[in-house]
Amino acid sequence: MPRDAEPSLNEKQFVITALQENLRLDGRELDQYRPLELSFGDQYGAADVQLGKTRVLAKATAEVTVPYTDRPLDGIFTIATELSPMASPAFEVHRPTETEVLLSRLLEKTVRRSGALDTESLCLVAGQKCWSVRVDVHVLSHDGNLIDASCLAVVAALRHFRKPDTSMDAGVLSVYTPAEREPVPLSWLHSPFCVTWSFFGEEGEIAVLDATWLEEQVRVGSCTVSLNKHGEICQIAKLGGTPVDAVSLLQCTSVALTKVKEFSGLLDRKLAEDLKRRDKGGFMSELRAENDR
Amino acid sequence: MSNDRPLVLPGETIDLSLIPSHPKNPLRLGPGLRHIPPSDIVPTAAGELITNPVKNSMWVEYNSNRYIPSQNDIILAQILRSTSDFYLCSLAPHTPPATLPHLAFEGATKKTRPVLLPGQLVYARVSLANAHMDPELECVHASTGKADGLGPITGTGCIFDVSLGFARRLLMARPAQDGGLAVLEMLGGEEGGGMAFETAVGRNGRVWVGSASARTVVVVGRALQETDRGRLGVEGQRRLVKKLVREMS
Repeated sequence: MPRDAEPSLNEKQFVITALQENLRLDGRELDQYRPLELSFGDQYGAADVQLGKTRVLAKATAEVTVPYTDRPLDGIFTIATELSPMASPAFEVHRPTETEVLLSRLLEKTVRRSGALDTESLCLVAGQKCWSVRVDVHVLSHDGNLIDASCLAVVAALRHFRKPDTSMDAGVLSVYTPAEREPVPLSWLHSPFCVTWSFFGEEGEIAVLDATWLEEQVRVGSCTVSLNKHGEICQIAKLGGTPVDAVSLLQCTSVALTKVKEFSGLLDRKLAEDLKRRDKGGFMSELRAENDR
Repeated sequence: MSNDRPLVLPGETIDLSLIPSHPKNPLRLGPGLRHIPPSDIVPTAAGELITNPVKNSMWVEYNSNRYIPSQNDIILAQILRSTSDFYLCSLAPHTPPATLPHLAFEGATKKTRPVLLPGQLVYARVSLANAHMDPELECVHASTGKADGLGPITGTGCIFDVSLGFARRLLMARPAQDGGLAVLEMLGGEEGGGMAFETAVGRNGRVWVGSASARTVVVVGRALQETDRGRLGVEGQRRLVKKLVREMS
């Protein structure tokens, strides 16, 4: 059976000595992300995020189902994460590791509980029919910082996604195919992003952004801040590890805001590019459901 | 280039004129070739066919990522745990653990054997590699009793993963002439400003770079990994070294 590639003592020591001299193994600054690439698939709702050697694919889908009985006016929104052995020898099928559980909980807290997607807009017939939106996160390659990459992929997939247009006519619900009516975007309220800090050193005095897998195995603690470009913090998770000074945490959140603004700008730019690519002949605005007809 | 190193594909027939013939030595087949009795030699991998008429040997040079141990390979192993008379070592994540006897070190007796902790690195030779058996390592030459540079690795340094073909090129006697790899010479020479460092290359695709200065280790490691990943030629390596030295100074 393949073993989890635990770093050797030499590597562990070296990562720490190098960080004390403000050096990282790939030559980055301490608060610098690896090159970030975002691309969309041919279908609506497929986003592929590459962060150095980490690669995450998220796919959003929607289907009509019956709403939960205790929430008849809400649609259903789920995020499913899957870490396969393809990503790293440490992962096994059907046996969720701690990484996987933490990843899905953080995504849930960041995207779902912060109300980024308006679930009431997914309701079709109260108590009978609603949209169930599901995002599947596939980690294709794991080289650290899965949380930030997956969160960006999920948000990008949902903002790129279009669900089929529907209409209610005399109590009859009709769902239109893309050939009949252009699909409509989800009602999206704000875009939260995760920024993960890793702490090194005796008292966690060295804070590092976008840790690689080797750095993640050596760190003494980590803190994930989720916020949107307006600086509204959705959640902060500091799950165990060495205690960190409150002032340095405040500093971390302010740096995180600048990073989130960069992510947000990148996503807006990529979405606009993708829209332009799809808008052949400039008929897209005519097809919009919200246009006056 | 194409004449002395022809490309072969798996299952192809090898032209008879390419097979070396020696009056006395038997023909030796290396990795990527298979002998099908009575007289067929078939490639099992796609790559360059390399022949050595003096040693009467031939093999296929190809790049891969999964390490399969074979006898007399020099490798970098990591200690997993110790048992009563040997250490268990990991060579690569998907390779079965190898055994390293406690007494397979230079001058080791029951009382003076080196004590290695889990996670420590050793530079070792594969002494036994049979199919369906765990490979066996040694850090001493069996006939001379000398270490010849093998043994536990200490000192400031870090491991960098490279592809197997790149590690083999680094291990060539003349990497600059035969393998087109001058990056280490450049780093130690005038392009790199005469950096002082040492390396230990393992055929399992791991390179240990050691130096008193952490900055040098990072520069050398990045130069190796980027040369491997970008498949750089000698001119590209020179540009890379200059760029890295400028960035890190």
